[in-house]
Amino acid sequence: MQYAMVIDLDRCVGCHACAIACKAEWSVPTQFGRNWVHRLGPAKTPHGLSGTFYPGLCNHCDDPACTPGCQGEEAEKVFTDPKTGKTKKMTVLATYKDPFTGAVLIDRDRCVGCGFCVEACPYQARYIDEDLDDPRADKCSFCVERLAEGLEPACVQTCLSRARIFGDRDDPKSEVAQYIKKGARRLDNKVVNIGPNVYYAGNKRDMHLLKETCTPTEMPEASLIEKRVLLARMGKSISKGMGLTGLVGMAACTALASETNEEDE
Amino acid sequence: MALKMTRRRFLQSASLAAATIPLSKVVSADSSFTSGEFAAPGSFKDTKTVYGGVCEMCFWRCQLVGKVRDGQLVKLEGNPKSIDNGTALCARGNAGLKLIYDPDRLKHPMKNVGERGKPKWKKISWDEALDACAKGLQKVRKKYGPQGVALWYHGASAHYPTAFFEHIGVPNICEPAFYQCRGQTAIAMLKTLGYVPNEDVDMANAKAMLLIGTHIGENIHLSHVRNFITGKLRGAKIIVVDPRFSASAAKADVWVKIKPATDTAFLLAVMNYLIDKGIYNKKFVKESCNGFAKFKKGISGMTVKKAAKICDIPAAQIIEVAEILAKNAPNVAIHPGRHATWYGNDFQRIRAHACLAALLGGYDVPGGIQNINRMSAGHVHWPEAEFDDDYDPEDFALAEMAEKYPFRPPGTPTDMIRETMITGKPYPIKGMVVWGANPIKTFPVQDETKKALKNMDFVMVTDVSPTDITMWADILLPEACYLERYDHIEKGTQWDCSAKPQQFIAPRMPLVPPMFERKDPVWIINGLAKRMGVGKAIPVKTQEEYVDHCLKEVEDVELSIAKIKKEKGIYIQEGESSYLEPGDVAEFNTESEKIELYLEELEEEGFSPVPVYTKVPEPPRGYARMIYGRSPVHSFNRSQNNAWLHHEIPENPVWLNDELAAKMGIKDGDRVSLENQDGVKTTGTTIVKVTPGIRKDVIYLAHGYGTDNPAMTVAHNQGIDDQSMNTRTVIEPETGCCGMRINFVRLIKDGKSISIPA
Repeated sequence: MQYAMVIDLDRCVGCHACAIACKAEWSVPTQFGRNWVHRLGPAKTPHGLSGTFYPGLCNHCDDPACTPGCQGEEAEKVFTDPKTGKTKKMTVLATYKDPFTGAVLIDRDRCVGCGFCVEACPYQARYIDEDLDDPRADKCSFCVERLAEGLEPACVQTCLSRARIFGDRDDPKSEVAQYIKKGARRLDNKVVNIGPNVYYAGNKRDMHLLKETCTPTEMPEASLIEKRVLLARMGKSISKGMGLTGLVGMAACTALASETNEEDE
Repeated sequence: MALKMTRRRFLQSASLAAATIPLSKVVSADSSFTSGEFAAPGSFKDTKTVYGGVCEMCFWRCQLVGKVRDGQLVKLEGNPKSIDNGTALCARGNAGLKLIYDPDRLKHPMKNVGERGKPKWKKISWDEALDACAKGLQKVRKKYGPQGVALWYHGASAHYPTAFFEHIGVPNICEPAFYQCRGQTAIAMLKTLGYVPNEDVDMANAKAMLLIGTHIGENIHLSHVRNFITGKLRGAKIIVVDPRFSASAAKADVWVKIKPATDTAFLLAVMNYLIDKGIYNKKFVKESCNGFAKFKKGISGMTVKKAAKICDIPAAQIIEVAEILAKNAPNVAIHPGRHATWYGNDFQRIRAHACLAALLGGYDVPGGIQNINRMSAGHVHWPEAEFDDDYDPEDFALAEMAEKYPFRPPGTPTDMIRETMITGKPYPIKGMVVWGANPIKTFPVQDETKKALKNMDFVMVTDVSPTDITMWADILLPEACYLERYDHIEKGTQWDCSAKPQQFIAPRMPLVPPMFERKDPVWIINGLAKRMGVGKAIPVKTQEEYVDHCLKEVEDVELSIAKIKKEKGIYIQEGESSYLEPGDVAEFNTESEKIELYLEELEEEGFSPVPVYTKVPEPPRGYARMIYGRSPVHSFNRSQNNAWLHHEIPENPVWLNDELAAKMGIKDGDRVSLENQDGVKTTGTTIVKVTPGIRKDVIYLAHGYGTDNPAMTVAHNQGIDDQSMNTRTVIEPETGCCGMRINFVRLIKDGKSISIPA
């Protein structure tokens, strides 16, 4: 089983309802989004003029780049297969892939807000609200919480033209699987090849424009990310906490960091 | 106990080690989804569902429910019982949450202790505010007569107030929704068909559709979009006529890249071709149309060849369109259009839409324009007023006095009221009431509007938010928004004409009570009426009584607020199909009981009785025509301060043809402002969208951006105001409606004006 979403560009009119419904459902800060809609074109393609949209969200990848480097605490969790009720115990970091549904999730109480996962995602599907005192990563959960209550994902429920189709990719009878069989495609290539589970269907010209302009061209590089992320975040967090505007070197940072930390306790 | 890891502690450890440290501590097993205090609970946890909402983020009026937690609205969703929008809401509908809790909203009555246009606000009590309004209006009435007051209004909350102002003899009332939007569409259809179909066109079941400038997708009306997309998925051929590759054009089979202002020539040529080739619907024309012979003769001058030249499109494309329509007749959706105040000759164009649909027989058949039977609710009337000195408001209706605009929509043309406010001719208008409208952004020639407002003795404005017009008020009244009040009663049917026929009725009921000192219109108006000495005439005491009264007048069923609440916000009953039974002949409620292809009434008033193309002035050298349209996340200016919607599309890009851009040295994303033919420049700037999807003689942008009022802290100066470029307008002689696509612009980049190359 693998939850997946298909976005049918023939149906999508680019109304942004999905983005706003999600904001309301999950109290997402105004300046961020768990999902988004970007207008593409009108632009020339080999198949003719195209004007379409990139409604994006977390791809809940088969081989997520965001989970392995998580700096949050491990925890033992019990997972349940929503179809069979079967359970499985597993030790996971603060962000992990559900062994049954394939949804990539975050336990925000164990997230330390380091931002590794945010930087690691080639689709930029995660965010951290730096304005919070204790920022933690957030992203699309495929609304597994709503699914558990028998509800559709918020973006699917609000979609005017049923352009968003959600279901189990591995169930050949599902509408999602039917779309995939008919050629729905994902935003991947040889370089970015981590098995995204958001698929797009549409005519040749729109698919061309989407694939050409919205497929990530590179995987963020891990070691670089670590350095950049840690330094940047430390600096930002400290300067915010102490009311300083600049960084004066690593030693000072460290000293300030421990001071800030003590204030907390 | 588990180690409580915080972000700061993590950063500290990480920095000390200058590397990541694995931190494997097992915390308690947890199989639930939510992760404690750090996760949002979702709208479904510990919330109550409140029924009865009717949206007013735009005027399609989807039915909605509120999810309420601890007295606070946390989410809006489509009412699952709705046969119109279902559980869906558009971006604006969802973002109603950000309107209701917008910190910039008007909270208290206020008095302007500064100048009009440069206000300084002083918070006052409702008693003070209503006393001041009564005094201000009475003073004008005493000095100049009841005709000294005029009203500009918009929206459902203004219905009760409008009835009140009529009661006190206000002869000049204008709704921009008519004179700057869809007025002539309604009247042209009414005169031609005998009813106003609005946008009741069965796109979902059409085999072909024709959209003239209609840009569904950028214009989001929920069930209308669903109709359009369903039609496409069911295989309809879509033809979009637009100078721009709009969201609709992007879904079309044929994009007619027409020269702006020539649509009527295009429609006439298509009709001529159908008649010439004998491929029009002869049976329908014979049975259901009046004046075909005279019509045929009247339009015969506009040949395909001539139109191709005028419209700057291939003749073959006109023929292609005509053939597609003929082949799929009568199941063709000739979209009636909505906003039509383009060039000051639009009445004739809309007539052409209706006549083309008639030649194809596209009425009351699957895919065609429908005469839909909705339930009807009652109205609340103020009693007929008696005036001193035989005063009759009709004697002072400006259009009547001037004997102008015989085909005008209800009310007085905006322009006439504004002119009278400035000149005092034929009599002085010195008191202005604005209710829910924003004339600064809706009327062209903004300087004239400002001049008119400055010339008033008293200006009273009621609104939800501090829109630009509120800066011109003497007294400003804060209104409860659509989620906090009772008013409009929505009536409709199932969204797909081919589905099981049903009718519904859904009154707007509050989901949460209003905060601060915001009040509903019945409360405000009754308070004003009492102070103006007409308290005895008050027809209803409360907004609940108002809605109950309207519901009680619904025929054949006993309805009340209590009953609708039990029905979860929507009452639904069996309806009747809008499609004709086989063998039935379509009937029309006109004088001839047929579609008036040739409208004698027009001839009597000195206008062309058959649709006619009139040329409008071309852009001067170095300029392009400015056209405008809708943003999918905004209802013009009224939603601009919504933080969520603003975040989605914060400004209105100027669309510029890619080949022109290359010649002008302009790149996609460059920051520019606009300058029009009169040297007027936009206040703010916006970005350029360089695209092959627009003609070279046109500049396009979405309407409604560029808010002037700094009290709108989100919207202020975001994007640019297209209306500020309309320093000229042209008034349509048939209807008195404004033409707003007759101004020409060029770009300004880095302070330098850049002409549009020929």
